[in-house]
Parts: sequence; C-alpha cells; structure tokens
Amino acid sequence: MTKLSKIGALVAAGGLALGIGVTSVAAETMYTPNMSYRTGPFAATGIPLMNGQRDYVNMLNARDGGVGGVMVDFEECETGYNTNKGVECYEKTKANAIVTQPWSTGITLQVLPRTNVDRIPILAPGYGFSPMSDGNTFAWAFNPPVSYWDGASMIMNFISDGDMNSLKGQKIALLHLDHPFGKEPLPLLEQYAEEYDFELVPIPVGLKEMQNQSAQWLQIRRERPDWVVMWGWGAMNAGALTEAVKTRFPMDKFVGVWWSGSDDDLIPLGEKAKGYKSISWNVPGDYPVIDAIKEHVVDAGNSMVEEPADMDKVFYQRGVVMSMFLVEGIKAAQEHFDVGAVNAEQLRWGLENLNITDELLEELGMAGMTAPFQTSCSNHTGHGGAWMLEWDGEKFVKASDLLKPDRASIEPLEKEKAAEYAENNAPWPGRDGLPCE
Amino acid sequence: METLYNILIDPFVQMYEAPDFLMQVLWEGLVSGVLYALIALGFVLIFKSSRIFNFAQGIMVVFAALTLVGLHENGVPAWLAVPLTLGVMYVLAVGIERVVLRPLVGQPDIILFMATIGVTLFLIGFGEFVFGGENKVMITEALGIPTGALEFNPFGGFVLIEEKDLTAVVMAVLLVFALITFLNYSSMGRAIRALGDDHQAALSVGISLSTIWVIVWFIAGVIALATGIVWGARAGVSFALEVIAYKALPVLMLGGLESVSGAIVGGLAIGILEKLFEIYWGQPFLGGNTETWFAFILALIVLLFRPQGLFGERIIERV
Repeated sequence: MTKLSKIGALVAAGGLALGIGVTSVAAETMYTPNMSYRTGPFAATGIPLMNGQRDYVNMLNARDGGVGGVMVDFEECETGYNTNKGVECYEKTKANAIVTQPWSTGITLQVLPRTNVDRIPILAPGYGFSPMSDGNTFAWAFNPPVSYWDGASMIMNFISDGDMNSLKGQKIALLHLDHPFGKEPLPLLEQYAEEYDFELVPIPVGLKEMQNQSAQWLQIRRERPDWVVMWGWGAMNAGALTEAVKTRFPMDKFVGVWWSGSDDDLIPLGEKAKGYKSISWNVPGDYPVIDAIKEHVVDAGNSMVEEPADMDKVFYQRGVVMSMFLVEGIKAAQEHFDVGAVNAEQLRWGLENLNITDELLEELGMAGMTAPFQTSCSNHTGHGGAWMLEWDGEKFVKASDLLKPDRASIEPLEKEKAAEYAENNAPWPGRDGLPCE
Repeated sequence: METLYNILIDPFVQMYEAPDFLMQVLWEGLVSGVLYALIALGFVLIFKSSRIFNFAQGIMVVFAALTLVGLHENGVPAWLAVPLTLGVMYVLAVGIERVVLRPLVGQPDIILFMATIGVTLFLIGFGEFVFGGENKVMITEALGIPTGALEFNPFGGFVLIEEKDLTAVVMAVLLVFALITFLNYSSMGRAIRALGDDHQAALSVGISLSTIWVIVWFIAGVIALATGIVWGARAGVSFALEVIAYKALPVLMLGGLESVSGAIVGGLAIGILEKLFEIYWGQPFLGGNTETWFAFILALIVLLFRPQGLFGERIIERV
C-alpha cells in the first residue's frame, strides 16, 4: 500500500467513524448498562435474570418504540460476577450511562462511593447493601423492593408463624456464601437471636467449596438445627440442595433467600426437594406482560431464552420485574422534568419517586407479579414485601400471603449502619444539597 | 486450661462418643480426597512428561463434562456419548499439541505455562459459546451409575454412603491402577517416563515428543472426563466446576508435581485431614470454612521439611 493510499484509508476510516458518531448522537437513546454475569461459576443464576431484564426493555423498544418515545439502549458488560471486572465495567460505561446496575453486593460496595462523584444512580433491586435504603445517606443508591434485612425478617416471621417469641430455645443455622452478599443478613439475625433468645449458627461456604459442601452438611447433622436458612448464590444453591437431599434433611425446614430459589437448581432434584421454600418478591405465573414479551421479542428471534418454557421460571420473571423498576423510574423522571431522554440526575429523581401501585401493575400486565411500594427521599427501597414460595416437585408455588418486613427492628439498624458507613468513609456527601421534592 | 482441654482433648472425646459420625466424616473426606487426587493426576501426568504446569486442567474437566451432557441432550445415547466425548478430548489434545505446544518447543517453562492460560481462556469462551453457561444435569442414570444410598447402623448411629460416591471411589481406583500399569508396563508409558526424566536423552533414542504430548494430553482429557462425571453427579455440571481445580494445588505441593503416587496420597491425605480439622477444630473454634486454607497450610508445613513435596524428586543441580 502506498503512503498516499494509506492516508486515504485513514481519512476514509476517520470519516466513517465520525459518521457513526454523528448517527449515534442523532438517534436519541437512553444508555442503561447492565453488569451481567452470563459466564463463570454464577452464570446459572445470572442467565435467566439477565434474559428477563433484557427482554422487557427490548419488548418496550419493539412494541412502544422505547419509553416515552425514546429507545432504551440496554447493553450488557460481562463481569463473571467478579468485583474487579465489575469496577472496570462501571468505569467503561459511566461516561454515557444514566444508571449503573452492578449486579453483585461486592461490586455495589466498590462503586457506591464513586457514584456520588460521578452522579450516576445505582439500581440494585433486591441486592446490595441493606442500609442503602437510607436515602438521606445514600442519595444515589436504590435497592427496591426489599432489602436483605427485610428478607431475613420476613423469613424469620414465616418460620415463627408470626410469633417471634416462639423461636425461644430453637437453633437456626444460616448457611451462607462466605462473601459480602452472604454475610448481609448477619447483623439483623444476630440482633434477633439476642432479642428472642434463639441460637444462631452461621455456617459459611467458601467460593471453592460451593460444589462440595459435605463439611457444612456434616455440621448441620451434628448441630441438628430446627431450621436451615440459606443465603446462597450461583453454584452454591445447587450444591446445598443436593447435600440436603443426600443427608435427608427435612426439606420443609429449609428456607432460602430469593437468590436461592431458581427453578433450574430444583428441577434436577424434582420430588426429592419437595417442600423446600424460598422467599421471593415476585410470584411466577401467567401474566400479560410475559405474553407481550413472547410476541414482540421471543417470537421475533430477539431473545436469548432457549425455550419459551424458561419464561415461566421465577428468575426470568424477576428479571422482568427488575427492568420494570428501571423503566418506571425513567417514566417518572420524563413526566416530572418534561423531557424525552432523561439524564442520570433526572433518573435519580425518578427512582426516588417510584410509585408502584396495584393499578399500575394491572396496566403493565403485571398484576400480582410483585407487591406495590413507594420510594421517597428517606426510603430508597420501598419495602413492599414478599411471598414465601414452595417447591412442589415440579415448580415453585405461592405458599404464603404477602409478608411484610419488620421495619420497627430494621429501620434503627439501617440508620446506625448507614451512619457508621458514612463515618468510616468520611467525608461522605450524604444528599449533598440534592433537594427532596 | 479449659481452652487447652477444648482444643487438645475434647475433639477426641467427641470422636469416641459419636463413632458413627466420625465414620461419616472419614468417608466424606475419603470421597473428597479421591476427587482431589483425580484432578491432581491430570496435572502430574502433563508436568511429568513435558514440564508444563497445565493451568487448563480445571476447564478441561468442565469441557469434557459439558461435551458428554451436550451430546446426550442432542439425542446421542450415553454408551455412544462417552466414546464420542473421548474422541473430542483426543481432537483437543492433537489441537493443543499442533497449535500451542509445537510452536513453543524449546521456550522457557513459563511461556508454556502462559500458553495453557491461553488454552483455558479459549476453552471457557468456546465452551460457553457451544454449551451456554446454564447449569446442566449429569447423565448419571443414563451412564448406569446407581443413585441410591446405603445406610449402615454402626454403634447405634448411622452412616450414609451414596452409591454414586462409592462408584466414584471405585472408578478412581480403577483409573489409577490402569494408569500405573500403562506408565510402568507399556512401551508408550515407559517413553512418557523417559521423556519426564530427560527430554534430550529421550529424543536421542527416537521417542517422538509430539506423539507423547498428544497421548499425555489425551490421558489428561480422560481423567478430566472421569472427574467431570463424578463431580458433576454430585453438584451439577457448570463452569463452577472449574474452581475445584484449585483444590489440586495444595495436593501437588504436598505430593510433588512429578509423582503419580504423590498425587494419590496427597489427595487422600488432604481430603481426610481437612474434613477432620474442619469438623472437630475449624467449626467450633474458627467459625468454619477452614477447608479453603487448611490444605495450603498443611502443604506449606510439609514444604518446610521437604521442599520437593512428599514424593517429589529431589533435584540437585551442579553449581
């Protein structure tokens, strides 16, 4: 290639790049990156969730031309559930992002201080750091519809049949991933153990031991707990359920957090796992929104679900609900600021003013799929509540009425831990002059 | 005094008072140990013949198990899926030898090690592209592996032995015997050992480096398939299986990188000792989860006294 032709090629490439740049600026979109984990040891948990999230947004893009007439650019950045890669993804996407969806408690804790500076809201539905609920301290972080402490309190409420005093003298094992996520319920459960006089036995599971939990289940055999509560993620769930079946632990005394309730972990065990329970802030079922996704995304060949039956599973539908929270935040901001494409600061306002009502859920084709809730300046979670699901040998079915978190016990703890976090990370900006409207 | 009693005496009292539980702990430790030994064997074989620390052994376990399950999901009967998977592992061995190892002959060991990291990354990407990242169920029953449990009632208690764990132990023992027989009594096995002892001397008597490498990587693939079947039968087949390869590292430190018997003894010792330590000392005194570090501490203690590991060869280099 001659020097002249090289220069020509460079000029042409530059022109092309400029052209693409101009095009992308011209077509107004809202960039909502998702830090996915479709690979690695946690992929089995991640894939259905990411599929649900992605398909809901794609359905709105296909059916309604986006949200408020503006297309949503829902791009995934793969982390493999690795905190370092998650931080890289955050840095890579933050320039144009209107939200960050970190998808791991470890990543959330890492990016939490940065989002104050970068002024990008974190949306961590059902995960992250429980005190994030305190919007006056964590102005840029949101974890609707319930936090881990809400989840722990609802599980305890369920197993005590509404009377926490009945737990006196009982032994409750907490089988948890030895990771920031797995340790999340400990402060509240320790407080409960002291208050209601039951014995809490934390049993950690290391990342390398997820597939071989024989030592943990030998401990459970020795301790003979009245209940085992599981805070598991990814491969840990399948490992624990297999060991529980193997050691003949009574399944009706085994309860998991919402990330320990994936159909895919239970299907291989079938009838043997009958009676296992998992708390969940979404109820699986036939909903018009799922039909719409099927029509506009799956049948059009734009989904990553392998079989339409996968859309009936708890985790897929939870992914749909998660994206609904994001979209409703966008809509609230669009309406309030009277704009099409919202920016990160406007979306922060939208997420702080979420109002998920029964009427809205009905309108969205999601009636009964999740509980209504409302966020505010001081309440970034909503605390809508959850249901206990039970594995019937083939699928999860609803096994309780809507459970509500014990806010009287949790709120002071949230405030205490939020203040402690702010002090340890001083100078912590708090609301930093953000108005509360 | 009470603390000393709790640490030094009480665990043994507990063992004495609940012998059935102790037997269960020992059995679980033995099963884990057999599985660690299997993974370590894959590393040892390749290191012995080529001085390459094969970082890809863990992902080979995943890849072999996924291939087997994937073939079966696509309608291939189990009896045919196993030889076909072995065929895939053979093609992989040939591919690695041709594309990765052959161009790097004569390069420093660290370059070859880095190349196996490249193989790992390739297999992760390729595996996820072909099979997806979802959990899959090992075709335990289709392979004829029994899935029931045997219950014994010694000393008025009970010991549960899963038939698939028992099968895993039997399979591992047979595999090890087959390997030892192959390495010691076949001409190809002797060639592999000769190559491990001295590359240049082995080449000078006409041993083909490329043939041996293909065979060794293929045997590592066979071991990976066996490991994938038994681990997959316990907790499903997913990319999480790759993590278990790290459990082989302390086994190799303990047993020595070049010793087949070291891998077996090291694996069994670590499996049993880490389980005993976790149950009787780790959980009561250290909050549990000691299995993540116990094996490394044990290996380090051994290395203090025997830097080459329990069964490793002591290399004296002339200065």
